[in-house]
Amino acid sequence: MPLLRFVVVTGLTSAVEVRGITKWFGETTALDAVDLTVGPGEVHGLLGPNGAGKTTLLSAMFGLVLPDEGTLRLFGRSRAEAGAAWLDGVAGFVETPRFYPYLNGRRNLAVLAGLDGEDAASLIDDALERVGLAGPAARRKVRGYSLGMRQRLGLAAAMLRRPRLLILDEPANGMDPVGIRDLRAALRRAARDGVTVILSSHDMAQIEEICDSATILSAGRVVAAGRLDALRAAAPDPVWRMRTSDDTKALAIAAPLDTVKAASHDGGGMVVHAAQDEMDGYVLSLAAAGIAVRGLELDRTPLEALFFQLTAAQTAKAAKLPEPGAPAEVTP
Amino acid sequence: MSLAADRWPAYAEREAAVRKPAGGTLVVWRVELMKLAGKILVRGMTVLAVIGPFMVVEFLNLQSATPGDTPFGQWVHTSGFAIPMTILGFGAQWILPAITAVVAGDIYSADDHFGTWKTILTRSRSRGELFAGKFLAAVTFAVFMLLLLTVTDLIAGLLPGREPVVGLGGQLVPAGHATWLVLASYLSDLPPLLGFTALAVLLSVASRNSVVGIGGTVAIAVLFQIVTLANMPEWGQQALLSTPFMAWHGFWTAPAFYGPFLWGLVTCGAWFAVCGLAAWLVFRRRTIGAAS
Repeated sequence: MPLLRFVVVTGLTSAVEVRGITKWFGETTALDAVDLTVGPGEVHGLLGPNGAGKTTLLSAMFGLVLPDEGTLRLFGRSRAEAGAAWLDGVAGFVETPRFYPYLNGRRNLAVLAGLDGEDAASLIDDALERVGLAGPAARRKVRGYSLGMRQRLGLAAAMLRRPRLLILDEPANGMDPVGIRDLRAALRRAARDGVTVILSSHDMAQIEEICDSATILSAGRVVAAGRLDALRAAAPDPVWRMRTSDDTKALAIAAPLDTVKAASHDGGGMVVHAAQDEMDGYVLSLAAAGIAVRGLELDRTPLEALFFQLTAAQTAKAAKLPEPGAPAEVTP
Repeated sequence: MSLAADRWPAYAEREAAVRKPAGGTLVVWRVELMKLAGKILVRGMTVLAVIGPFMVVEFLNLQSATPGDTPFGQWVHTSGFAIPMTILGFGAQWILPAITAVVAGDIYSADDHFGTWKTILTRSRSRGELFAGKFLAAVTFAVFMLLLLTVTDLIAGLLPGREPVVGLGGQLVPAGHATWLVLASYLSDLPPLLGFTALAVLLSVASRNSVVGIGGTVAIAVLFQIVTLANMPEWGQQALLSTPFMAWHGFWTAPAFYGPFLWGLVTCGAWFAVCGLAAWLVFRRRTIGAAS
């Protein structure tokens, strides 16, 4: 088992250990005493609305942003202790991967492989093939690449480093559905083989599908963290969209129930807040009353419900109080 | 296009021990030279440095008059040695700063412009190695261009003939000695050239803007040239980075004097050290990213 072998070799209990990291940009607090622990071989999701501090935190892990307070350890070593070797085995990107536009894709990888040294250059062809950029695409100047192609090139650049820690900031941005599907599969596979993955995403489904644990940030603070099953357990009831043969009567049946909250939806049908078991009971009671359920879908998963509940304050503040003169994007 | 997901693990399996960076600064230097070789402007300047002197010689041959207001200008039709010295006397104070500024004034700010700092700073190279490697690449380009111009100017000048040339003291300088003096004169411009390289680096790092890095360096060079014409005290003239560009005048008198060259070494060394150190201090703790 690759994961077991990795743990035995390193003897580490955490691949990433963040303690009390704080970062200010002028008067804006981008990170406020953030704690985060990610174990070896774990896939960890980083969630939060725009400006929550996700990219700042990922940038700090790469040493791009120097925290004003707190400590950050990768594989047990701080940056001060490890020096330039701190990022050995660490790969990925923050924000959209950026390359030299006047060089072609292959040449850009050659530049990065040159920085990596050793035999990284010998991996270029393989990496280009793996991300679907082999052939003519590799010979095109990067200035002509689409966002999705740059993301793929970013993944190829990460592969050159043979990572044991992969840090990815919204890697699916600009990718077509096939690319997104393949990316998810790739990350799952990497995790199975012992690679620790930290993934920032707005895509809740992506986080739920591939992550073992997650941290939710809001306004620079950690508002929830833990394994996904624990977060789901702490989450509010999921939200369902429902259509029946008689919505008025269905709402009346829900009214006296304490554990089922139902309301009409502006777009037609109903919105129901209820746990899975309670929802099952409600649907059965509708059937018993002769009401047909014509449509039922999960509108908001427990994790999504938790996310919206915990980040509502920041989202509302951002909507109401744009700060003149503040950076367009709080997180770099 | 399809991401071949099932082939990722090969990398993880090969990852065993922490890899050690090898020769950090030199690695970055090599990579920067690779990038420079891919720039059309750099290639164009190199080509121009090769053919430019021959075009100047052709142009001078078509003229009946001589550029008499430049040292050696009046001898361009009588001695091939006068041609490289005329080019040096005419253009050194602003052409050489402009040449080095094209690379040194852009080599850091280009990464700000393209947003690539975060790409290269995540590759196990320290900021110190990146800074030093880029600085070394800028210096390498400056030295390369000066040596290239030295050779091409000399060859272009000597094609018409190798007659002795009249020195600045009125003495006749034989061909063999004149060759060495031409070489020494060009190489004496290396210290101020490196001083301007460090200045361009500082502007590039501090402004994060290549227009400032390149244009600012050229503007300062022109400003220094104008200030040189003003009635400044001697210490003021000696403190200017452009003054050592003229230190070679002393090589061509009889007897030769080397005081301005030696004083120029001190001036250029100070500019080089102060600008280089300031650039590093600015670069060292910079935050990389949009919020910066």
